[in-house]
Amino acid sequence: MTDKKALDPVTFEVLKNSFITSVDQMAEQMLRTCYSFVIYNRDFSNALHDAEGNSVAQGNDDIAVHVGTLHFTCKDVIRAFKGDMMPGDVYAINDPYAGGTHFSDVRLVRPIFDEDVLIGFSQSNGHWSDLGGSVPGSFDVTAKDMFREAVRITPVRLFRAGDFCEDVANLIANNTRDPASIIGDIHSQAQATQVSEREILRLVRKYGRDQVTQGMDEVQDYVERAVRQRIAALPDGTWESVDYIDRDPSAGEGMIPIHIKMTIKGDQIHYDFEGSHPTIGSMYNSAPGATFSAVVAGMKTFFPDLPLNSGFYRMISVEAPENSVVSAQWPVAVTGFLMPFEKIMNSVFEMWSQIIPERAIACAFNLEYLLAGGTDKRRDEDSTFMFYEWLPGGWGGRRGKDGSDVTTACFGTGLMSQPNEGNERVNPTRTLEFQIKQDSAGPGKWRGGAGVQKTSVLLESEKSVMSYVCDRERAVVWGVDGGLPSMPHGLTIKRADSDTSEWLGSVFSDFPMYSGDEFARPTAGGGGFGDPLERTTDMVLTDVVDEYVSIERAALDYGVVITEVDADLCEYKVDEAETDKLRAHIRANRVAWARSDPEEVAEKYRNGEINSMDAVRRYAVILDWETGDPLPKTIAQFRESFERRSVAHWS
Amino acid sequence: MKNIRVAVDVGGTFTDVVIMDETTGAIRIEKTSSTPDDPMVAILNGIEQGGIDLSKVSMFSHGTTVATNALIQRNLPRTAMICTEGFRDVVEIRRANKEDLWDTYKDVAKPYVARRDRLVVKECVNADGQVLEALDEDEALRVANVLKKRDVKSVAICFMNSYTNGANEERMREILQSVMPDIPISISSQVLPEIFEHERFSTTMANAAVSPVVVDYVERLEGKLADGGYERDLLLLHTGGGVMTPASVKDFAARLAGSGIAAGAIASRFIGNLCGFDNSIGFDMGGTSTDVSLVYEGKSRVTKDWYIEYGYPIRFPSIEVLTIGAGGGSLAWQDEGGSLRNGPQSAGAFPGPACYKNGNEVATNTDANVVLGRLGTSLAGGKIQLDARLATAAVQDTVATPFGMELHEAAESIVAVANANMANAVRLLSISRGYDPRDFALVAFGGAGALHGAAIAKELSIPTVIIPPNPGVTSALGCLLVDIQHDFSESFMASAADTKPADIEAAFARLEAMAAERLTHEGVAAKDIVIQRNVEMMYQGQWRSLAVPAPSKISDIEALIDGFHNEHQREFNYRRDDAPVSIFRVALTATGMVPKAELQTQTPNANTPTTDATREVWFEGKAHTAMVFERTDLTAGATFDGPAIVEQFDSTVVIPPNTTAEVDTYMNIIIRVQE
Repeated sequence: MTDKKALDPVTFEVLKNSFITSVDQMAEQMLRTCYSFVIYNRDFSNALHDAEGNSVAQGNDDIAVHVGTLHFTCKDVIRAFKGDMMPGDVYAINDPYAGGTHFSDVRLVRPIFDEDVLIGFSQSNGHWSDLGGSVPGSFDVTAKDMFREAVRITPVRLFRAGDFCEDVANLIANNTRDPASIIGDIHSQAQATQVSEREILRLVRKYGRDQVTQGMDEVQDYVERAVRQRIAALPDGTWESVDYIDRDPSAGEGMIPIHIKMTIKGDQIHYDFEGSHPTIGSMYNSAPGATFSAVVAGMKTFFPDLPLNSGFYRMISVEAPENSVVSAQWPVAVTGFLMPFEKIMNSVFEMWSQIIPERAIACAFNLEYLLAGGTDKRRDEDSTFMFYEWLPGGWGGRRGKDGSDVTTACFGTGLMSQPNEGNERVNPTRTLEFQIKQDSAGPGKWRGGAGVQKTSVLLESEKSVMSYVCDRERAVVWGVDGGLPSMPHGLTIKRADSDTSEWLGSVFSDFPMYSGDEFARPTAGGGGFGDPLERTTDMVLTDVVDEYVSIERAALDYGVVITEVDADLCEYKVDEAETDKLRAHIRANRVAWARSDPEEVAEKYRNGEINSMDAVRRYAVILDWETGDPLPKTIAQFRESFERRSVAHWS
Repeated sequence: MKNIRVAVDVGGTFTDVVIMDETTGAIRIEKTSSTPDDPMVAILNGIEQGGIDLSKVSMFSHGTTVATNALIQRNLPRTAMICTEGFRDVVEIRRANKEDLWDTYKDVAKPYVARRDRLVVKECVNADGQVLEALDEDEALRVANVLKKRDVKSVAICFMNSYTNGANEERMREILQSVMPDIPISISSQVLPEIFEHERFSTTMANAAVSPVVVDYVERLEGKLADGGYERDLLLLHTGGGVMTPASVKDFAARLAGSGIAAGAIASRFIGNLCGFDNSIGFDMGGTSTDVSLVYEGKSRVTKDWYIEYGYPIRFPSIEVLTIGAGGGSLAWQDEGGSLRNGPQSAGAFPGPACYKNGNEVATNTDANVVLGRLGTSLAGGKIQLDARLATAAVQDTVATPFGMELHEAAESIVAVANANMANAVRLLSISRGYDPRDFALVAFGGAGALHGAAIAKELSIPTVIIPPNPGVTSALGCLLVDIQHDFSESFMASAADTKPADIEAAFARLEAMAAERLTHEGVAAKDIVIQRNVEMMYQGQWRSLAVPAPSKISDIEALIDGFHNEHQREFNYRRDDAPVSIFRVALTATGMVPKAELQTQTPNANTPTTDATREVWFEGKAHTAMVFERTDLTAGATFDGPAIVEQFDSTVVIPPNTTAEVDTYMNIIIRVQE
């Protein structure tokens, strides 16, 4: 775009908005015709691309995790089919090694032709309920390579000039556990891409081909200009952050660091992942495309008003050591890429919080997925059940504002949580509770948002197994600016014939379960922001009245002494004198507590004197939560973080 | 003799009272200033101002914003919820998503009921409707006493799976009533007996929270009207597009939450029908926003995805209205990427557009229209004088200078961007739902609708634009021309192929019995009841259903399935004849027909009106000399070509070049747009 005359402002504005509308129309159609309930709950995205595959517009409500990846898959389709495309074609791809996210996210790409000239592409990306592999839902946490994970779809043709390539579609569908839904979703997504094609061709009729393709270029330049302007206005400098994945299950104890150094120079931003750990022996690795996406998604949070397209990406460069946990190559398992993804996002939050303090935010809870399957024996006729569920949790405290309570995971804020009544109809489970988890929020002057707890019982069934995909059982959600961590993630199970619960932690696969077993999952709250001893006693009191915080933890975490006057009338009162004393006591001792001997802390935990919240919030100690054994390497890493993010900010 | 009908539409600024003489069909309109603290005051003022003898009124209907405003402003009495133990937070957890995905500082508001007032009791009903655990009555009584002690004003009872069996909820209500006999109680199995707990609880919670407000208002208004001699039922317009009587308002208060929005959509449907159009798009453009609605084959599009505040669905069927932030007062601006933008920020009623002389210096759509000569400077019969110099300065400084444009080019650019945004909104409601705008007429109204209507139609290739006689008060007309209407539904989850006509007939029979009971309770005679059945279906495995109209006696399931395939083809542009179809829900709309009055007509007399009044009006970069008519001078049968301007008290009609206008027997201006 050099010597051409720029579009007039009206044509430009009209095209810009129409491009976005065309993508939103795709989203609307997809939502209303999809088969995979994961898509129905909004795990999808759509985009319009120029003829080179660059993103021109992405949907307004698309989930964060797909941002910054759609142009990669479009370009890979072009690489595969260049010179062999025709109107009415549709291609599929789900290849994380070519810039996709994970195998479950299947993208359908349609070339848009005006007469015989290729002018762009529309792309529809949906998370299919199953893509084969060793476990239902295609999330095998024990997988070390992709061959256990799912079907990898490198670019294939699903429609040829409008004709459905049934053979290819069936090959894909028949390698999954749910062929009928997969075929349904192929139709749903292929038709959605046609919606955008129709809109673009309408624009071509009205404004002419040249103006429309010029508009595709100019909207990218426009976003680039806006982002560069804002970055240029910021001071140059370097910021660093490190966050962790809990462990490498195939190695010993010790957290897996992801290290980021961000450099702003002029209107350029560089992210360097030097110091990040090599790939690990589980599916919690990220390929380069997904890593780039995490950087963009984290950054976009600080520019919420700007439209998303490839113009946003042009001033960002990312560099990572080869074969690291954030730059995995074929055939390393990457289905759990969201674990590194959210660590990157939160680190980006932390660095940008220092640059744009009015949007500062502490760490959010970790996403979690429960996948279960077996035979439903509730009715006369046996049937197979398969369910896949995620819970919301708390987001980090903010400057001048508590964190957002019970919100979907930060990798995909557009996702919806699922109704229990829907689950109970199709799966042999009954929900016993689904409510806010008291005290789950990380304490702070501005506390984190609250998490939830869901407890379910397995009803009449056979051959049932469950897998759990989560993290931050050890790399516990952290506070900033003196705020405190929240609590460890992890699932517990109470067998039908037992009175005690067993801690299964945050990662396991194919765990057998039986009718009558109860399984409980809390999600963490967000990390606290600022020193909890500076939180006003009124705010602590309000949280006690509404039962977000217990009277006990108001004292332990905030040093605020509250007594009940009349619970029926919601009357409680703060004992100001006792509060002053308690706060002074905590202030005098808390640094020493956070540096005390982990073995002594472990002893108290095993005796039942303290619980896991005390261990992480007060003593900065991470234990094996089932046995109570201290984890020395992990504790050293956690304490380094705690000292930097919490202790260093206490007055 | 009772021969007057009165309809009242309460808006933010004005309360419009429409008075119709049933014998002649003549309509007159009284406008009074709204009284937000108590909207009833303005209504009574309007009645007095219009000299209405209430004892002669045969029907008094009313679109009210009382429920809407109470919910928006959270001006709600203390409301409590009683939930199944373990589920008090369903309404706070919601579906856990956010309206603004990227702005981490923008949260969804907290529920209408505070956590402290959401209490729990032990009880359990499973997904098949079996009571696994009866209500713990001691606990229920304790909870009832706590709520009494707290002096709450309304209570929602929301139990899990109660859509399959409401017995525990009903027992809880009895116990609560025995302790607190005088407060309204909403129970979810009655308010919305449908699957998915958040949507049902949220609807029930909203219903409970507005109930005391609405009931108080309705009772006071009823009392005042009765004092004045009105002897019939007060009719209240609900979100679904019909009216209901105070007898139903007590149980379904939240149905009034979108009362005001529905009025415009109904009016445009009515006007479209009058002019012979089964398909029409309502385009209601005001000062700060534009409401778009759609009528297909004589019926308004209805949605159940509706809310006042994001995150808290009110899942009563609601006329689908898409609102965008584009109005006469929308501001033009240049963003940091150098793009020309229009809205959603607005200059509002104050300071208003630059030409209003209240200190705003940023160009608005109104200023651009003044610069282009499309809007005159003397409005409302001379009551409002606009300053063209201020409009010119604003357009020059906001757009012309920064973009290096000539003044009129800048003004046209402002209007073009606004029109394109509004046209996109129409596209979302039409093209993306499988409707071709070329098959529709555009009914343009609201203060600014007639200024922009023809341009929007041109943008969308809509051949016909209808400008009703009083564009500024068209919504009030919507309240006048309504029937009593209620919606009923029941979950019905089954494979369509395996469903026997008798099963589905049994479900409809239950709904029809409920419908008959409610309409009879409201005084509707059996002969005036009309039932429209819908079966909501989807391809097995899909997650959203489509409503397919069903006959009053279902004997052929195949025909029903075929109807679904056709609807899927129309809406989504494809069908899967070999894929199995599921039934999700059966629903019906029960209408109690209200005798219709005929609007007054004029005998057409073909004529070509003339006038000496002209002014310079800009279209597509050129100045044209346009005739300027007074609307009151135009008679039925008048035809004339654009460019022309028609001015009237509450609006200005723009008839662009290459269009023709005609005045019909109802005094609508019909503009025909040529491609």
